[in-house]
Amino acid sequence: MSAAADIVRASLPRASWSWGAALVGICFVLACGAPLGVNGYGLYLLTLTGIFALVALGLNFLTGYAGQISLCHASFFGVGAYATAILTQKAGVPYLLALLSGALFTTAIGAIVAVPALRLRNIYLAIATLGFGVVLQKIIFEWRSLTGGGGGLALAAPSIAGHEVGATGLYYLTLAVMSAGLFGAWNVSRGRTGRALLVIKDSEIAAGSLGIHAARYKVTAFAISAFYAAIAGGLFAYLVRYINPESFGVGLSISFLSMVVIGGLGTIGGSIVGAAFYVIVPELLRGIKDAPGLVFGLLLVVVMVFMPQGLWGMMRRLGRGSVG
Amino acid sequence: MTHLAIEDVSVDFGGIHALRGVGFGLEAGSIVGLIGPNGAGKSTLLNCISGITRPTAGRVWLGDAVLSTMSSAAVARCGIGRVFQHPELVAELSVHDNLLVACHCSLHYGLFSELLRLPDVRRQERAAAKRVSTVLSRLGIADSAGARVGSLPYGHRKLVDLGRALLMNIRFLLLDEPIAGLNDAEISRLREILLALRREFGLGILVVEHNMPFVSGLCDRLVVLDLGQLIANGPPAEVLGDARVMSSYLGEALDA
Repeated sequence: MSAAADIVRASLPRASWSWGAALVGICFVLACGAPLGVNGYGLYLLTLTGIFALVALGLNFLTGYAGQISLCHASFFGVGAYATAILTQKAGVPYLLALLSGALFTTAIGAIVAVPALRLRNIYLAIATLGFGVVLQKIIFEWRSLTGGGGGLALAAPSIAGHEVGATGLYYLTLAVMSAGLFGAWNVSRGRTGRALLVIKDSEIAAGSLGIHAARYKVTAFAISAFYAAIAGGLFAYLVRYINPESFGVGLSISFLSMVVIGGLGTIGGSIVGAAFYVIVPELLRGIKDAPGLVFGLLLVVVMVFMPQGLWGMMRRLGRGSVG
Repeated sequence: MTHLAIEDVSVDFGGIHALRGVGFGLEAGSIVGLIGPNGAGKSTLLNCISGITRPTAGRVWLGDAVLSTMSSAAVARCGIGRVFQHPELVAELSVHDNLLVACHCSLHYGLFSELLRLPDVRRQERAAAKRVSTVLSRLGIADSAGARVGSLPYGHRKLVDLGRALLMNIRFLLLDEPIAGLNDAEISRLREILLALRREFGLGILVVEHNMPFVSGLCDRLVVLDLGQLIANGPPAEVLGDARVMSSYLGEALDA
């Protein structure tokens, strides 16, 4: 991803540049028209894809760009879901405001988690974040008066400006939020933060010699990714209308990480493709008697072995080949 | 005129004395060669100046500022550029983007503006891209602007690394074995670039290098380290004739 438009055009064939723009346009039009062509369950899956894509976009900053592994993103997702639900349901805060406040609250938690994580890397960081995730999940579980504990929270449909938001409304809200998240992620990727994160992933010594404060940017990456995860969590709570601490375990954190890796580390398109793969493919495999999990697991292995740069990396290579 | 001063710097790693009370100064506009056998402490000294290693004793000054208590990022922001022995570039980015990273400190926009890519961000990014293009032409690698760094020959990568230092508004440049792995044409081009930088910007340069003809031809002064101690400091002709230098270093180099 290049910063200066002229350089992008110099390094990519002009045809593939306009192909990319056309592809984004087609996807957006299809996404806008999708509720007309799918049933209720299909719409649920599409909304879920958008929500997971939002988490993956955020996690990509941390893992794809800054090279930091997190196994607590399901907890950020959960904190966002609970904060939004509690603010809306118990404090009567309007849904959109609750969504934003919950996300800002989670961003602060993300930044706090980052501080001890600054001393750790690789597998050690993974284990430390795993610990944070367990702690956050446990707090949600034990704080019964606020969160309902293991019994969970059942939620009524949210309303925006007095209008109840149904499944279609929530889908469009998710699409709008995800598009905004995509726009922000794309901008950061070609701005000073995105470049700084890439250098930090490669070498913190090099980053220092360029005047980049590695610690500050790692905290920023944690905070942004927690913000994305929390917004997604606030949407998820009202997609499923029932949340309990079990939904936000380490298994989900691993799924988020897999989405980013399967889609393609450090690529924005990859985050969306990875999320779609994770939601849609198991559905397509449902027809296979008794073994959808097995086939899905094998597919993950195949993708990783034959497409180390992820689905997006492969799609880009194929696209370049066909364009010439 | 700014002065970079190394004052009685010692560094211990466990029980090993990597540097013992080393002290010398570097004026803006001068080129000083730092030589010595392997393990003499040359890279450790560069690391002390650039804030990567903290001295056990002694200080590094830039004018009135003490560099040796600062983080490496803060030292870089004071105008000390560092070019590593092996270029520390992001292989997956283009040459142009690798240089753009070095404009980090001259871009002044917040994360919020960046997320929205406000007009001010775009204006600053355009200005940075222009500076990058200027440096690329200056280094004679403008043709490679769009190439991925990973695909470049080693000599080109070293030039890109130097280009990054040049984009940082530096006053002093620390070079660690800049000509290792370069061919003759690249060496003479590097020499011209360094001399031009001194002439035009009054840049002070401290260069660690094993190649004696290169060092003695380029530098105003040579500082010799051996086993962490400074054993000579003076004009090249004088230093290279010094008996201690001959026995500790040059003898070894001649034997090799």
